[in-house]
Amino acid sequence: MTKAAIHVPPKGGFSFDLCRRNEMLAQNGLKPPCSFKKTGTTIVGLIFQDGVILGADTRATEGPIVADKNCEKIHYMAPNIYCCGAGTAADTEAVTDMVSSQLQLHRYHTGRESRVVTALSLLKSHLFNYQGHVSAALVLGGVDVTGPHLHTIYPHGSTDTLPFATMGSGSLAAMAVFESKYKEGLTRDEGIQLVSEAICSGIFNDLGSGSNVDVCVITKGHKEYLRNHQQPNPRTYVSSKGYSFVKGHTEVLTTKITPLKEKVEVIEGGDAMEE
Amino acid sequence: MGDSQYSFSLTTFSPSGKLVQIEYALMAVGSGQTSLGIKAANGVVIATEKKLPSILVDETSVQKIQHLTPNIGVVYSGMGPDFRVLVRKSRKQAQQYHRLYKEQIPVTQLVRETAAVMQEFTQSGGVRPFGVSLLVAGFDADGPQLYQVDPSGSYFSWKASAMGKNVSNAKSFLEKRYTDDMELDDAVHTAILTLKEGFEGQISSKNIEIGIIGTDKNFRVLTPSEIEDYLGEVE
Repeated sequence: MTKAAIHVPPKGGFSFDLCRRNEMLAQNGLKPPCSFKKTGTTIVGLIFQDGVILGADTRATEGPIVADKNCEKIHYMAPNIYCCGAGTAADTEAVTDMVSSQLQLHRYHTGRESRVVTALSLLKSHLFNYQGHVSAALVLGGVDVTGPHLHTIYPHGSTDTLPFATMGSGSLAAMAVFESKYKEGLTRDEGIQLVSEAICSGIFNDLGSGSNVDVCVITKGHKEYLRNHQQPNPRTYVSSKGYSFVKGHTEVLTTKITPLKEKVEVIEGGDAMEE
Repeated sequence: MGDSQYSFSLTTFSPSGKLVQIEYALMAVGSGQTSLGIKAANGVVIATEKKLPSILVDETSVQKIQHLTPNIGVVYSGMGPDFRVLVRKSRKQAQQYHRLYKEQIPVTQLVRETAAVMQEFTQSGGVRPFGVSLLVAGFDADGPQLYQVDPSGSYFSWKASAMGKNVSNAKSFLEKRYTDDMELDDAVHTAILTLKEGFEGQISSKNIEIGIIGTDKNFRVLTPSEIEDYLGEVE
């Protein structure tokens, strides 16, 4: 059997094989499942005088339920590039992991630091191939040899390049804060303050966002991942003694005991078990 | 010789039970530039000659020692282009392992997968074996490790090994000098002395390459100035 050394590129794009069946099911009244884990989300990014600051909330929802109170939405792409993800959590994780791996290979082959536009192109071409079915809305930011960059990427594969950006269900709340307070040449502390305010605005005004604020500051040659930089939603009224449920706490109404009869058959002179 | 009738087809055994193409591939390795590796108690060093075909060649553009992962490096003896192909494949395999298991690939696993690729090319139609032997140096949870992979796809773990033109002299030199409790610095000195043994011409920081990995688990190629320092110490 020939295993030729010819490289056959993988067939891209979505497989539409099941679409007819889905239509038939919908016509027969079956509702599609809606409770996969989404990140309701507020994610933001802005460019300040020394680089880029990214911010995100930490709530992951499954319909009306909070599935993860402290998830990580700022994903590592390269030592100098990070990416916030909104949309279906599995999609954002998978697509950022995949592109991060491709960037690592690219760095080995070229011997150079990765560029933000490289990550951008890899992400947008993958999302375009899947025609929007990979539900990942991303805010990509980083600093490379050509300077600081900030981009937004939509699930269908279009991109924007902006000085400040927000995505997710809390994007309007966060954008309101940015639009009124953003200016060029912010310092590091001002930038972190503004990003935290924007995320908090999303946390308090959008149901899909909540819990804590994560911040990531990227400058030339240096990055700081401030996990849980702000925790504006602490658990109050936690009993310091802890909770113990002693026997007698619950009232026993009835008791019924059913003894199990043991049936043991002893066979004399049976074959020994094969070892 | 009866074998010669079987020497052109890769996928046919000779009467003596050898695959002659693989023997020839090993000869290609044996005529390549000398490379060697030494496993110390706290790290691994690999080194090679870097003889360029002419003084006009820009030696900074040539790098024979390559990274496969942050904690695994590799050097070769034999055909450079074949080495490039293997390095690309190995890097991709390491990335795929990481994507699947979310951990850095252990040295043994990477060596096994690279060897499997080399073996594929000895049992397929229309291809030839790789004309390189690799020395893979890595440091992971099992400590420092040094592996040699041959064109046939067989691999061995070594405490110290050499390949290429000067292999027999280098190996006997290493056998005499190797001790189990060597430190990484001593290993680098021994590597330089071993290269010097069979070196034609004057050894300098421009015509050898050295890669080391220590307990920091970060493989790196030494800069020419660092090699100068080591050469000075050895004199």
